[in-house]
Amino acid sequence: MRDVAVLGVGMHPWGKFADRSVTDLCRVAVGAALEDAGVSWRDVEAVAAASSRFSGGKGWGLNGNDVVEDMGSTGIPVYNLSAGCAAGGNAFNVGYSLVAGGLHDVVLVVGGEKMPKGFIQTSGVEEETDPEYLRQRCVGMTGPAFWALLCRRRMEELGTTEQHLAMVAVKAHKVGMHNPYARFRKEFTIGDVLGSNMVSDPLRLFEICPVSDGAAAVVICSAAKARRLTTNPIWIAGSAVATARFDDGMPRGLAGMVPSGGTIHSEAASAVGKALGQAGASPEDLDLVELQDNTVYYELAFPEDWGLCKPGEAERLLEKGETLPTGKMPINPSGGFLCFGEATTAMGVFQVCELTWQLRGVAGARQVPEARLGLAQTLGLGGNGTAVVLKR
Amino acid sequence: MPGERIPVVEGLFTEDDGGARLLGSRCAACGTPYFPRSDRCRHPDCSGTQIEDAVFGPFGTLWSYSVQNYPPPAPASYDEPYHPYALAVVDLADGLRVVGRLIDDASTLRVGAPVELVLAPLCHEDDGSALITWMFRTR
Repeated sequence: MRDVAVLGVGMHPWGKFADRSVTDLCRVAVGAALEDAGVSWRDVEAVAAASSRFSGGKGWGLNGNDVVEDMGSTGIPVYNLSAGCAAGGNAFNVGYSLVAGGLHDVVLVVGGEKMPKGFIQTSGVEEETDPEYLRQRCVGMTGPAFWALLCRRRMEELGTTEQHLAMVAVKAHKVGMHNPYARFRKEFTIGDVLGSNMVSDPLRLFEICPVSDGAAAVVICSAAKARRLTTNPIWIAGSAVATARFDDGMPRGLAGMVPSGGTIHSEAASAVGKALGQAGASPEDLDLVELQDNTVYYELAFPEDWGLCKPGEAERLLEKGETLPTGKMPINPSGGFLCFGEATTAMGVFQVCELTWQLRGVAGARQVPEARLGLAQTLGLGGNGTAVVLKR
Repeated sequence: MPGERIPVVEGLFTEDDGGARLLGSRCAACGTPYFPRSDRCRHPDCSGTQIEDAVFGPFGTLWSYSVQNYPPPAPASYDEPYHPYALAVVDLADGLRVVGRLIDDASTLRVGAPVELVLAPLCHEDDGSALITWMFRTR
């Protein structure tokens, strides 16, 4: 395997953009990433794109083809990757693999999305062999309710309070308000969060992420190329994809077996463990983490799953401000999904942009001091998990 | 027609003298339970080839619960006007962890509470017939 570097990153701000197409958003992100990388569109040898179910892609998830046609059809190969909300992370891993495996020297990874309003809907496929269809048809359980079930269990097992949940959201906005790409740049108080509508007990509106439009792009390249083109490369120390294990404790369809162990986010933990292993790093070596905070619950549960802290310790670290950029365990200095809203397939690529800016030391008021090693993680429908470790 | 009870999806549940039951399968070799039915064992460490029909329920304990405060999108359905409903993950005594609605008011719930399966209306059709699904209620 060859060493691979992140050469350039770019984003379109997150928000709701009724008058712009997803291709418009991607063009801004790709243009910024190419400029940041100091390469031209002609230099890009392949595209790994996240497949969207909601926008563009000719209705077939061919979002990478949209980007290539829009930028100029140079005849390069395009890989369209589908992994639910993990698609951006999945596309990054495939792009990485193409360069690490020696097939290409310069690859563009891109994810762009325009989301319909409201709860994320199921596919529209009405097949009684589809567990997701059965779960919605026979029970009716939206994403926030799924997160709420996990969160209620944590409150019971570890004593997490509604106050703790609100504190995560307050922390997210305290840092995200400094991010020019974030959709919600406003500080909230505990009272604001606890005063927001209950969506699925115990999770309130400001404790879950809404859906957004957005796009992000990353240019990655071989080490030889990086040394010629930049004096400040960011290295991909690990990149991994995993799926949920059979003994995962949270049924993703209608039912599972009562597990003997306690793992309930196995796809995320497996991907993170693999990426850290590739990097030769321990959880305590990480200077910052960008994790998928669809809900404040994940920001408490994931660091414990991955060994960044002990079970039940996440709330204590939060209370002491240790998850702020200036703390011992900085989580989501970007502001995360809570401040961006979820543009589903773009999120894994957005996280790599943020890690890159943090490791370059150019993140401004949300900068993690002396950031040298960072982790990003996504998970998505189907039990998909991804993780990336970047270092400078 | 009014009073008629129609399963929302056929083949998932039944009712007998002992109460409501979920219709699933169990691997004859490793004992892994499946709901809905499976035609084979999918446990990655099991090489068993025999799978048997199994019924699950009615008793279990509440692993966790929540509430769907806002109307869910299709294909979920509900009677108008919308009333929030509680949701549960339940560990049935026979080793199955299963999701479902709760007919209880969420404010009275607690993790670990004993629950039982029931068949109850999800919603009603225009002709007054009820679409039935499995739900839980505390005992």
